[in-house]
Amino acid sequence: MSTENKTYLSARNITKDFGTTRVLDDVSMDIQSGDVVSIIGPSGAGKSTFLRCMNLLETPTSGTVEIGDFAITLGAGRSTASKKELATLRRNVGMVFQSFNLFPHLTVLENICLAQRRVLGRDAEQARVRAFELLDRVGLKDKSEEYPGRCSGGQQQRVAIARSLSLDPQVMLFDEPTSALDPEVGAEILAVMRELAEEGMTMMVVTHEMGFARQVGDKVHVMVGGRIVESGDPEQVMTQPSHERTRQFLAAVLGR
Amino acid sequence: MVLFIAQGLIWTVIITLSSFALGALFGVFVALARSASSRVIRALARIYVDMIRSVPPLVWLFIVFFGLAELGLKLSPLQSAIVTFSVIASAYLGEIYRGGLASLGSGQIEAAQSIGLSRFDLLARIISPQIFRTVSPSMVTYGIGLMKDSALASTIGVVEMTFRANQVTQSTGMGLTSFAIVGGIYLALSIPLGLWARRVDEKMRKKYVVN
Repeated sequence: MSTENKTYLSARNITKDFGTTRVLDDVSMDIQSGDVVSIIGPSGAGKSTFLRCMNLLETPTSGTVEIGDFAITLGAGRSTASKKELATLRRNVGMVFQSFNLFPHLTVLENICLAQRRVLGRDAEQARVRAFELLDRVGLKDKSEEYPGRCSGGQQQRVAIARSLSLDPQVMLFDEPTSALDPEVGAEILAVMRELAEEGMTMMVVTHEMGFARQVGDKVHVMVGGRIVESGDPEQVMTQPSHERTRQFLAAVLGR
Repeated sequence: MVLFIAQGLIWTVIITLSSFALGALFGVFVALARSASSRVIRALARIYVDMIRSVPPLVWLFIVFFGLAELGLKLSPLQSAIVTFSVIASAYLGEIYRGGLASLGSGQIEAAQSIGLSRFDLLARIISPQIFRTVSPSMVTYGIGLMKDSALASTIGVVEMTFRANQVTQSTGMGLTSFAIVGGIYLALSIPLGLWARRVDEKMRKKYVVN
């Protein structure tokens, strides 16, 4: 990719208030093309809210989201992004949810083809070919005609990944993609994600999977109380955390 | 006598179907307005729905037929009935849609947004088909109610079944027979509709198991 080693996606000074509660307090983060960044931290720290700000599913109270050379700044009298800004951002940023969120009234194939046709304007055959490529890659080629309700959780999440990849995003956001799954099934999802990472996909992952963050991540951010308290090389952060709050958190999750 | 009364069925069907269709369409806007992000639009929609539901259909019918005539807008009895019942249906069906929308949950909408679907596609391809499945039984129930309410149109001179039965009663005195016939026809229409709705519902539930 031509954008190698360049900041691709960045969030600057993101602040988010829900009513009078500040859930994100001046959070900034850069992600280089091809990197995998993990965000860890205790529940309620604002990790998911932050991730959702990256594709503006959640609108920051103030701050800037920048993808490539395209920047969207909110706050200072501007409370919503324009249709065009949202379209450009979401066209380039894919997202995988904790609860899969497949469309239950569409088959697996239709789930993967819908946006290809309606957003990218691919014809039925092109969309189908791409969908089968991706289904093959996540090992679900034979499930194309099933409805999501007849697929297991792990299968649904793999379809969700394929759906998101079908738009050829530049960046993938993962919001606790394994939290709703059994550990064993979660491992399948992590394997798919690891493969994606190896192929050079730029990824931002909110996760409780310390093993993944440590082995696959190029960088880890620890978020507590709406702020990033520590960032750095995963190995370093996990073995020699410099912040007391990180130490507490790691002791709690790793000490089990 | 049966034939004479049954000739009024055509008006019952016309009023019911056209009001239901128009109400089903405008109900979409009512539901959208009721769930809009703007507080003002939500409040206005709320007032619209509450106003319509708080006044008896018969009174609305008279307001449209006699009231609009006084203001210089003269509608025929049939037009008045269709306008009145469409507007009433839009409020009730709008509320039914809104209930379905609330039960859909935010995940579906967020997933659609995250893959960049337009608002129209979100509504037409994600929300509507799913909501339709959950609200269609309530819609049919409302449709049956609407069909029964359409008898009120007799009061402003639409020559539907109740009107005709009344004519028969006036001229022959056979009130029990004539109105029993009307009741029988309504029964014959309502029961199959209800059964059909249940069948469709079961079929759809089987097709996509939602977990």
